[in-house]
Amino acid sequence: MSAALLEVRDLRTHFHTRAGVLKAVDGVSFTLARGEILGLVGESGSGKSVTGFSLIGLVDPPGRIAGGSIRFDGQELVGLAQPAMRGLRGKRIAMVFQDPAATLNPVLTIGQQMAMAVQAHGGGGERAARELAARSLARVGIPDAVARLDAYPHEFSGGMRQRVAIAIALLHQPELIIADEPTTALDVSIQAQILAEMKALAKESGTALIWISHDLATVSSLADRVMVMYAGRIVERGPVAEVLHAPLHPYTRGLLDSLPALATPGQRLAQIPGSTPSLLSLAPGCPFAPRCARASTACGTDPPQVGDARHGALCHHPLGAGP
Amino acid sequence: MLGYIIQRLIQAAFVMLAMSALVFVGVYAIGNPIDVLISPDATQDIREAAIRHYGLDLPLWQQYLAFLGRLLQGDLGRSFVLNIPVLELVLSRLPATLELALAAVLMGAFIGVPLGIYAGYRPESPASKAIMAASVLGFSVPTFWVGLILILTFAVNLDWLPAGDRGPTVEVFGVGWSFLTREGLAFLALPALNLSLFKLAMMVRLSRAGTREVMLSDTVKFARAAGLSEFTILRRHVLRLISIPLVTVFGLEFGSTLAFAVVTETIFSWPGVGKLIIDSITSLDRPVMVGYLVLVAFLFVTINLVVDLSYALLDPRLRRGRRA
Repeated sequence: MSAALLEVRDLRTHFHTRAGVLKAVDGVSFTLARGEILGLVGESGSGKSVTGFSLIGLVDPPGRIAGGSIRFDGQELVGLAQPAMRGLRGKRIAMVFQDPAATLNPVLTIGQQMAMAVQAHGGGGERAARELAARSLARVGIPDAVARLDAYPHEFSGGMRQRVAIAIALLHQPELIIADEPTTALDVSIQAQILAEMKALAKESGTALIWISHDLATVSSLADRVMVMYAGRIVERGPVAEVLHAPLHPYTRGLLDSLPALATPGQRLAQIPGSTPSLLSLAPGCPFAPRCARASTACGTDPPQVGDARHGALCHHPLGAGP
Repeated sequence: MLGYIIQRLIQAAFVMLAMSALVFVGVYAIGNPIDVLISPDATQDIREAAIRHYGLDLPLWQQYLAFLGRLLQGDLGRSFVLNIPVLELVLSRLPATLELALAAVLMGAFIGVPLGIYAGYRPESPASKAIMAASVLGFSVPTFWVGLILILTFAVNLDWLPAGDRGPTVEVFGVGWSFLTREGLAFLALPALNLSLFKLAMMVRLSRAGTREVMLSDTVKFARAAGLSEFTILRRHVLRLISIPLVTVFGLEFGSTLAFAVVTETIFSWPGVGKLIIDSITSLDRPVMVGYLVLVAFLFVTINLVVDLSYALLDPRLRRGRRA
């Protein structure tokens, strides 16, 4: 397993709130190869974003990594001192956020912000930083990149702003990019463009990508493998095609049934009854059981791992295996 | 941008016009200045000659128009009491107040903003809590009391700094400034500190609130994800993002300090305009009061204009007529 770029084992990120301990990430394990694109799918509050922030060491207080291990290229990141972690951030592990209007600083030019990101990791003088910034902007398809360095974020459209954010993430040619719903705030037509370009850029530079999204359809067009997250746990994992066509977990099935693209025209879209459980008051056993049509008394105990190493799920009653 | 400036200048002119009318009418309604000007045993003829001389027999609107006409030529009238031009009188006192107010506001900003940013960055640390507690004191303890305590401590007991008055001045552009000499600075230190405490507390609270808000934003998270150091984030991102409310308050505070530094000037016998206005009120020296208030209004309008223009410098989204 030394070939893996990222090896996450039993990651637990907990938030200590007044109401109790909130287990946002509760025993997540996965590996990621160099250049691989992994989709991380789940509803709001499933812990997918917290997983992303845990990887880059930016969990906001009162949250903290309570246990587990994150090995990045052989180096343990859990418990790594902040200066060392800062040296990795932006340099070898980068992150792109959901809303580019909120991530870019409105009162600084694109060039100033990119230069700061370059100089955060050495990066030489002003001139070299600007050149690197312009090259990075050109790579993500921003026309007239050199002139645009002196523009402010509000002078870009939403899609262009997200390209700028992606260009900042790509500045140091990181080995891993964590993309937290980067297309959610964009128009559908722009979404498709950005998706295609991100995929091409990742493949071209050999960058591994973790694509966090609530949208299974987006992830399926991009990723090699997909993980479905529910209440802080990964309930199903596998190659995209297999998960899409033969899901094991009833929750994945429910997500697929609620996709308009896959539904029969004229029929009502299926929806998963109920809502995501409060992470503060999780009953023992399978957290999805209260919303699951296949639930039985067995679901009151922790679900077993079913399937194989490639495609597996956490379920007492996986689909395709009888009720 | 030019159109915006012209628009603002026209607005400013209207504000000045309205202010001059308000001030003139407001002050006109107070007492009868002629009683102060001539001795009670003067004859009726002398009395009427004096009234005519000062134009006090004319209707109010004519007096106002005459006042406005003179104002436009830069003539604010002559002091009834000292019989010298009001403009000259106020301007002779203004530099003292100007340097005192500027020193106080700058001290407030340069000490208050870094403390506030720190308190907003580490809200739970004991140092931050101490800063915030001290800022409550800065707000609530009366200026005159702090002034007296400062004199008692640093001038009387420790004998480090002078207890009052203004130090020697150096002429620059025909105006005397005391902050250019070492001794002048020593005289300036205590009154400036006294006057700055309130502003300092305000700057601390404002920058703390702004910093706390900005620290939670995605901008800061994204900057951290890019590997920027915390110091760079505070200096280049946070300071810029919280600067607009700070500049607004800085401008307003500078204006009000200039106009109303009366208490501090009295305690430290600082020969500024605050002392002048109090004297002119007690002696019903109407031209000085009116002229002073018009000048203060002019200062406020000017400061506000500068503050508004600096917004455009600080926030590019407010610059109009730039490329699309």
